[in-house]
Amino acid sequence: MSSENLMTLNLKIWRQKNNKEKGEIVDYTIDGISPDASFLEMLDILNEKLIKEGSDPVAYDHDCREGICGMCSLMINGQAHGPEAETTTCQLHMRKYKDGDTIVIEPFRARAFPVLKDLMIDRQAFDDIIAAGGFVNVNTGNPQDANAILVPKENAELAMDAASCIGCAACVASCKNASAMLFVSAKVSQLALLPQGQVEADERVKNMVLKMDELGFGNCTNEAECEASCPKGISISNIARLNRDFLKAAVTSND
Amino acid sequence: MSDIKKLDGKVPAGDIQDKWDNHRFNMKLVNPSNKRKYHVIVVGTGLAGASAAATLSELGYQVSTFCIQDSPRRAHSIAAQGGVNAAKNYPNDGDSVWRLFYDTVKGGDYRSREANVYRLAQVSNNIIDQCAAQGVPFAREYGGTLSNRSFGGAQVSRTFYARGQTGQQLLLGAYSAMMKEVGKGKVKSYTRREMVELVIVNGKARGIITRNVVTGEYEKFSADAVLLCTGGYGNTYFLSSNAMASNGSAAWKAYKKGAMFANPCYTQIHPTCIPQHGDFQSKLTLMSESLRNDGRVWVPKAKADKRAALDIPEEERDYYLEEKYPSFGNLVPRDVAARNAKQQSDLGKGVGSTGVAVYLDFADAIKRDGIESIRAKYGNLFEMYQRITDENPYEVPMRIFPAVHYTMGGLWVDYNLMTTVPGCFALGEANFSDHGANRLGASALMQGLADGYFVIPFTLGNYLAGEDLINQKVDTSAKEFDEALTESEARFTKLLGINGNKSVDSFHRELGVVMWDNVGMARTEESLKTAISKIKDIRADFWKNVKVTGTADGINIELEKANRVADFLELGELMARDALERKESCGGHFRDEYQTEDNEARRVDDEFCHVAAWEFTSVDKEPIRNIEELSFENVALSQRSYK
Amino acid sequence: MASSMLKYATSSVVKKQVMGVTGLLLCGFLISHLIGNCLMYLGPEVFNKYAHALVTNPLIYLAEAGLASIFLIHIGLAAKLTIENNNARPDKYFVKQKTGHGATFASSTMPYTGLIILVFLILHLLDFKFGPLHTATYGGVEMRDIYKTVVDYFQSPLSVLWYIFCMIALGIHVSHGFWSAFQSIGFWHTKYTCLLQCLAKVFAVVITLGYSALPIYCYLQGGN
Repeated sequence: MSSENLMTLNLKIWRQKNNKEKGEIVDYTIDGISPDASFLEMLDILNEKLIKEGSDPVAYDHDCREGICGMCSLMINGQAHGPEAETTTCQLHMRKYKDGDTIVIEPFRARAFPVLKDLMIDRQAFDDIIAAGGFVNVNTGNPQDANAILVPKENAELAMDAASCIGCAACVASCKNASAMLFVSAKVSQLALLPQGQVEADERVKNMVLKMDELGFGNCTNEAECEASCPKGISISNIARLNRDFLKAAVTSND
Repeated sequence: MSDIKKLDGKVPAGDIQDKWDNHRFNMKLVNPSNKRKYHVIVVGTGLAGASAAATLSELGYQVSTFCIQDSPRRAHSIAAQGGVNAAKNYPNDGDSVWRLFYDTVKGGDYRSREANVYRLAQVSNNIIDQCAAQGVPFAREYGGTLSNRSFGGAQVSRTFYARGQTGQQLLLGAYSAMMKEVGKGKVKSYTRREMVELVIVNGKARGIITRNVVTGEYEKFSADAVLLCTGGYGNTYFLSSNAMASNGSAAWKAYKKGAMFANPCYTQIHPTCIPQHGDFQSKLTLMSESLRNDGRVWVPKAKADKRAALDIPEEERDYYLEEKYPSFGNLVPRDVAARNAKQQSDLGKGVGSTGVAVYLDFADAIKRDGIESIRAKYGNLFEMYQRITDENPYEVPMRIFPAVHYTMGGLWVDYNLMTTVPGCFALGEANFSDHGANRLGASALMQGLADGYFVIPFTLGNYLAGEDLINQKVDTSAKEFDEALTESEARFTKLLGINGNKSVDSFHRELGVVMWDNVGMARTEESLKTAISKIKDIRADFWKNVKVTGTADGINIELEKANRVADFLELGELMARDALERKESCGGHFRDEYQTEDNEARRVDDEFCHVAAWEFTSVDKEPIRNIEELSFENVALSQRSYK
Repeated sequence: MASSMLKYATSSVVKKQVMGVTGLLLCGFLISHLIGNCLMYLGPEVFNKYAHALVTNPLIYLAEAGLASIFLIHIGLAAKLTIENNNARPDKYFVKQKTGHGATFASSTMPYTGLIILVFLILHLLDFKFGPLHTATYGGVEMRDIYKTVVDYFQSPLSVLWYIFCMIALGIHVSHGFWSAFQSIGFWHTKYTCLLQCLAKVFAVVITLGYSALPIYCYLQGGN
């Protein structure tokens, strides 16, 4: 790596001590960043520098660093997971930036996701939605042979498309209404497309939507920013499916 | 030494096919109405933890789960790409429970416990049924049946998969099963909690101390049993394919409280990772080894050949795997492929700017099958590679290098998955039991789910009923809880108080380099002795010079890391020590001194056909090496050969 | 039972569906109103007779009540949804950038174009329905000369410009609203959704041009 490629960057990072105190944007300058470094490695380097200076490093969520765990988040220059399509922050590389660039880094924001510290947020709301119905009610035991349930290949593929959601919340973060419809619809769709999920399909969609509403997410206005910023490219056709299934469930409901 | 204990794996009597059935019949049961009176702690919510939590709660037990991430769904099981094995024999290609058992024992280089492996193969089919019933979107054939593929050099197609995200889908299945119980109020899920101590009362595991990483508070939880499902310790090497937060601390706390640690030296190094690119690198990314089905591995014949790959003519390329292993070629097992890559790089024939990589070339495959066919098979992997390296693998060969991926060693457990501390169980990668010295591809997911869904529900009941714990309730007011809490609090306070001049990561990196260089793919007596002494030095330096910023209350990521690195600094030494004492080569443990004429691992069955189970004495004293003898009654010991 | 009905009716999904359905009904109204307007090109008599027939039909009260309630539901829900959406993110972003592949100008300005249309609607009713009263007699029947009211109104270039401005806003509004309504009620198809999105744009252009042509026509008629 030749040193002339190394970049100097101006960072504007949201710093917030904890859930109770107010936060602010703080400016940092960092140099010697290799274009081959990942975005999070760039933050690691910043933190290493802050630690040397005796300051508190920037707290941000991350774990697998291969784009599958859904832990990393970050609004980068106003875009969830940064500028690259179908890419999580951990898979974003600094070669996307030029020497001298200014990068604004903020947490994902929504009423349902309080900021815990700096760039870390609490996404418990997603777990609550899944607990409300994002499952097939089958206990461990002796279900029938796996091949006794036939699934048309096309449906299996569509279900897999929906199931690839990593629960990162970029959909909520990028939606101007902080709506969680893409997340909820991905799980509803996955199970609605498979025979295994049919038995409880009505209950599932009702319970998950009502829980989502209760948690304070906004309403979907069909802008598709969620789809465009989803690191797994999950389609808003899932939202249409949820809308349809919910209407049917609500109309035919006996309660 | 007279101190050496011979451990009893508590393998049930009888033919191997009948052991598990007989055992299930002979085990004690907990009365259904009594189950809700028992509280079980599950630490870690990966495949093993989530499946155990769901199943135990379904049975009626009260369950509490703990994870360090913000949601149970983030556990690193999620990153497994390839698939999950089962002996369904759907493709009708000659698979059977016995063959899966046989392959796993052989693949583990005859260092696993036969009875455990047989049970694993037996329940493998139930796993697929269970996951399919949960709505895991497995790949399907046009007729709607499940699709299988051959994986990791297996001669039969027994691997079930969900695109390249099988781990994710199985984990989300287990997670949803667990969340269903959370929704019913039967499982309590505690997130962003780190287990910092195991609490032992009257010789039995009765609870844990956790640190709430958001508030910094220490919390006491009591239970009738503690299940450690905390994964492996590959991050001892700093750079590995493990997630950043994966750590060995929970297992290490148990070890220091009396749970023996088995075979810590068995480390699986995955051959097809994207090579390191700089000192700032935080982790290594693995690419599915299915790439080796079509890619050809090569290095330049000349040393230190700095020409670009495409400028090196065919006759100056060394396709070393194809030459050395004519029948398996590029599809030799993981350990063989990995070791050979390192050999080439050590010879000075490595490629790329660092010289620590070999080529994996798809040019021939593209010529043969067409670019579209290759794109269809590996499109997502190629995309990932390009995203990370900025090189287009359709045009230039990929650069790959081995990286630490999985640890076969772990807490010693008996056939019931119980450690040497009564009431403390270990499941999944956290235990040592099923993979011997080397794990086969697509077997980790199988083992995690087998332990959680189908083994622990039986064996835990047997323990609870057998110990009559219902009449020995312990709550967090017991003095042992306060002692453990004070102990862990003191440790964190101490870490904060050192206020030295080196960051936590710098120590971790330093440890990683020592581990990789000396306790990596090829180990020698000398390198291992060097490692032990260097690790001791780093550890001493750490406790003098580490700088942990911030305070104990609130989120302090440096403090969390410091606590984990402190444990890695002890664990690394044990790994080196185990490797030093195991004077043979087997699976994921290769000693240069013990190799065949063909440079293959040479086992020394007369002396080392056993499990080494290390017993903690004190940090600065040598641990005691106990053993569990292994006997192979069903699969005859033989030398692996992939020629 | 009633409470659970209410629970579903007030859910985010159903609220959006009601928005969609009322929006589509209003699109229908736009078409019929436009056709009515086109009668102006046929001269005062045809137009005034049509208007007279319309207002003297006893069913008009029912139709007006229905139309008014559709409007009120659409507007009321819009207000509620906008407030809820705003509350869903109390702390705004320091910088927010669109991806360029999702939101469009139309989709992100729905509340604003909606508000413009609301203001227009009120003024429109005041200017015409409740505007200056002229009479004309055809075949012995005296009726309102609404034709004159309209032509007079559009003698001011400002009125023409304001009207066209509002019709552009309306076009923008329906260009998202039209297909979005189908998405909300759950209609999605690989082929037809694209078609609907195109149709929405065509519809928007037809509505804007159709409605804008009349004021220009009236203005050009001059003060006859």
